Amino acid sequence: MVLKTLDVLGPVHGYGIARRIEQISGDLLAVNQGTLYPVLLKLEQEGAIASAWGASENNRRARFYRLTRAGRKQLQAETRDWEQTAAIISRFFEAKPEDLS
Amino acid sequence: MKSLRRFFTRLFNSAARRAEEERLHEEIHEHIALQTEENLRAGLSPVEAQRQAMLKFGGVEAMKQDYRAERGLPLIENLLGDLRNAARSISRMPGLAAVIVISLAIGIGVNTTIFSWIQLILFQPLPAVTGAANFLLVEPRTESGGYPGASWLEYRDVQTQVPALRDVVASQMVPFNVGERGQTERTHGQLVSGNYFSALALKPALGRFFRPEEAERPGTEPVLVISYDYWQTRFRGAPDTVGQTLRVNERNLIVIGVAPKDFQGTLVPLKFELWVPATMAPALLGGTRDLEDRTLRSFSLIGMLRPGATRQQAQAEFSTATAQLARDYPEASAGIGGEILPFWSSPRGPQRLLISGLAILQGVMLLLLLAVCGNTANLMLARGSTRQREMAVRVALGAGRWRIASLVLSENMLLALVGTSLGAAIALWGTTALRVAPIIGAFPLLFPTRVDAFTLAFAMLLGAACGLIFSAAPAVHLARLDVQDGLRSSSNTPPRSRARKVLMGVEVGLAMVVLIAAALFLENFRSASQTDPRFRPEGVLLAAYDLSGRNPDDTSEREFAARLLERLRSLPDVEAAAIATNVPLDLHGIPARPFTVQGRVRTQPGQDRAISNTVTPGYFKVMAIPLVEGNDFADIRDKAAPAQAIVNEEFVRRYLDGADAIGRRLQTRAASFTITGVARNSVYDAFGEPAQPAVYFSYRDRPQDQGEIHLRTRSGNETALTSEARAVLRNLDPMLPLYDVRTFSQHIERNLYLRRIPARMFAVLGPLLLGLAAVGIYAVVSYAVARRTREIGVRLAFGATSSRVGLQIIRENLGVIAWGAGIGWLLALVISGHAIPKGGVNLPVFLGVPAILLAVATLACWIPARRASRIDPMAALRHE
Repeated sequence: MVLKTLDVLGPVHGYGIARRIEQISGDLLAVNQGTLYPVLLKLEQEGAIASAWGASENNRRARFYRLTRAGRKQLQAETRDWEQTAAIISRFFEAKPEDLS
Repeated sequence: MKSLRRFFTRLFNSAARRAEEERLHEEIHEHIALQTEENLRAGLSPVEAQRQAMLKFGGVEAMKQDYRAERGLPLIENLLGDLRNAARSISRMPGLAAVIVISLAIGIGVNTTIFSWIQLILFQPLPAVTGAANFLLVEPRTESGGYPGASWLEYRDVQTQVPALRDVVASQMVPFNVGERGQTERTHGQLVSGNYFSALALKPALGRFFRPEEAERPGTEPVLVISYDYWQTRFRGAPDTVGQTLRVNERNLIVIGVAPKDFQGTLVPLKFELWVPATMAPALLGGTRDLEDRTLRSFSLIGMLRPGATRQQAQAEFSTATAQLARDYPEASAGIGGEILPFWSSPRGPQRLLISGLAILQGVMLLLLLAVCGNTANLMLARGSTRQREMAVRVALGAGRWRIASLVLSENMLLALVGTSLGAAIALWGTTALRVAPIIGAFPLLFPTRVDAFTLAFAMLLGAACGLIFSAAPAVHLARLDVQDGLRSSSNTPPRSRARKVLMGVEVGLAMVVLIAAALFLENFRSASQTDPRFRPEGVLLAAYDLSGRNPDDTSEREFAARLLERLRSLPDVEAAAIATNVPLDLHGIPARPFTVQGRVRTQPGQDRAISNTVTPGYFKVMAIPLVEGNDFADIRDKAAPAQAIVNEEFVRRYLDGADAIGRRLQTRAASFTITGVARNSVYDAFGEPAQPAVYFSYRDRPQDQGEIHLRTRSGNETALTSEARAVLRNLDPMLPLYDVRTFSQHIERNLYLRRIPARMFAVLGPLLLGLAAVGIYAVVSYAVARRTREIGVRLAFGATSSRVGLQIIRENLGVIAWGAGIGWLLALVISGHAIPKGGVNLPVFLGVPAILLAVATLACWIPARRASRIDPMAALRHE
């Protein structure tokens, strides 16, 4: 989700990511925003995203995260994976008893 | 890949912690600020906006913790934290830590030092030679168990008849006189077979080694190889040394190569400087028949197994070969079998003296280290209990059992680490100190022991093992801690710790074993050095000369000895003078010779043997050995008297049925002698040896090219004679050096030197161990007293007398100590029974040591017990 957000929005700070996830999920996923930061850190350490200091909308220092090339590749791979998984799952839900006979 | 990358980042982060912390802080701050603004925009009051923002963000601290866990490596960080913590808590108990570290350092240092010696003998017996431990000794063996060495011809036979061995190498140690006439220097070298260097797989530091053809025909190739040190000192490491000539025993030899650094020959720890092809022996040693005579067993052989062959195979082949030799040459080889021995079990040389002593020493020292561990465990346990509260708080705050254990572990490991480092330093110092220990004497000795990676690994292993051992008890104890109980302001009924008492008992037991071993060793050493040698070494000066370099014949040798003695006896301070070929109590022993004696029929196969020494008349006077029967030898110049021999009392008892020695005939391989006297038994090879049969021959009948001059002084100040003796020899022959000048006492000292090393160690370590045991006991008892302050206070309040309380504490603890001591005592008894089968029980040691130990233990109990008895009941009860 974080990767996709960054993919769509481009460089954005932590708060922006949190807001975005909330918005997209229609406030269904209102987890503690704090949990975002460890995830960001993990991704950064893996090299999927990079971060740099920048000025926020109201001209304060904020940390901006952006997707790296590796991150983009990872996003693609994970998108593919997810689509595959989703497709399989959905097929299970679509399956009707008569299909098996 | 990814995880690896992450690992490194995290590792880096662990180091750069602070900056990261700030970054996170700032980010959180920013996040909340943005959220607050958003909320404000949504119309909330500023306070509410901030609150909502905080709520939405969640627990900041928990998140930070998560963040940190993601960021760094918690395991390592915890460890570092533990270590920091450990360092801090150790610095709070400097006295205790010092006791632990020092005792550990000594234990590990001593063990490592001994190990470096054992390693030298077992794994790297020949410096600079790789795989030297794989060499086997090829030793002819007499039926009485002696190892006489091999003759050159026998060496040739072994090469062909023992196919399981390849690269069999022969060597013989020889003293050379190196230099021009008038300024010769005595230098030790080895006569070696042509394959010597190639078989040892050595590469010359300069030049080349022998070619096979250079060691083929006797006396043709005057070449030699010099040692690296010799090259450095005598030739100053000059690159053009190869090709130069060196005058050796008045022959010119060409230096063809320099042996690699550290190589010191194949009779470690003797250090040789020159190597000459054995085929040069007749030319250099006055026409010796070493190369043709099978009875001259002057070479020692070593060889390597052929790939695929076993030692049993080699042994079988060698036995067959010696059996054949015994049939073919009964004169030289009858009754001589053969043995193939691993290199470390060398039957001769200081190695043999050392190895058994070292093994015992290492065993004892490991026990000592174990006692140190027990002691430390006890101290840590005592300390750990006072920290129960601290640990309970930690557990209550959420520290896992493992964290608690690792906290204790890291503390102990840190102590162990410091102790080990210090121990390694001690070992480093100890090995060098022992190595350069001055050995005065004819043979340059060099023990190439060193502390290398292997030895250090041993030290580290020991340290880690110790750390684990003495961590185990406190760690388990604390990890099992009941939090509720620990947090209560005072535990009403302090649980008696069995572990501590058991440890105390074990420690006392170990101390008992080690102390008894030490005492026995010292006692043995002391009695050895104080035993009456049955001759009088005081006031005797010894010095050696060697005519072998100038091809003397019997007449000239006899004449030389006669003139030398005449001149020496004319010196005012000389009471008596004599020359002998062997000096008792020499490191390498006195050779024994086979003989037959008139009127004795030997029932078993083989030959009678006795220690033999060739001496001039006057020898018994110098040595103060009385002749119980008969007379001294005839004068050296007397040509009329028949060949004479003097035997000792043991000889008469064993071979002549104890009577009528005078006039009997004694037949050796070469000649026949008439027994003209019986000398009292004396010590020949070692103090405390059983009586040995000995024969003295006369210089007159068997002139020798070398001799040890014995001078007895009138004044008792034998060293003052040195320069006069030198002057006498110089007058007689300006070119001949007088070497190995020493007093008889110094000579004996040399013999005792190797035994003294372990004795000294024991002498130092015994009291140390006693001290350790005392500290251990003291720690346990005083801790117990501290815990029971209240109980004691109550008792005193109810009318118990203070002496009663003190006595009770002493009795309780002494009970445990007595158990430990008793078991240790029995163990020591069993061990000593095995180690010294015929020795019997040394009562003073077996009674004295426990007495001392128990006295010290009682004292260690008494000090805290006295404190207990002085407790003011009111204060004790108010205490809580």
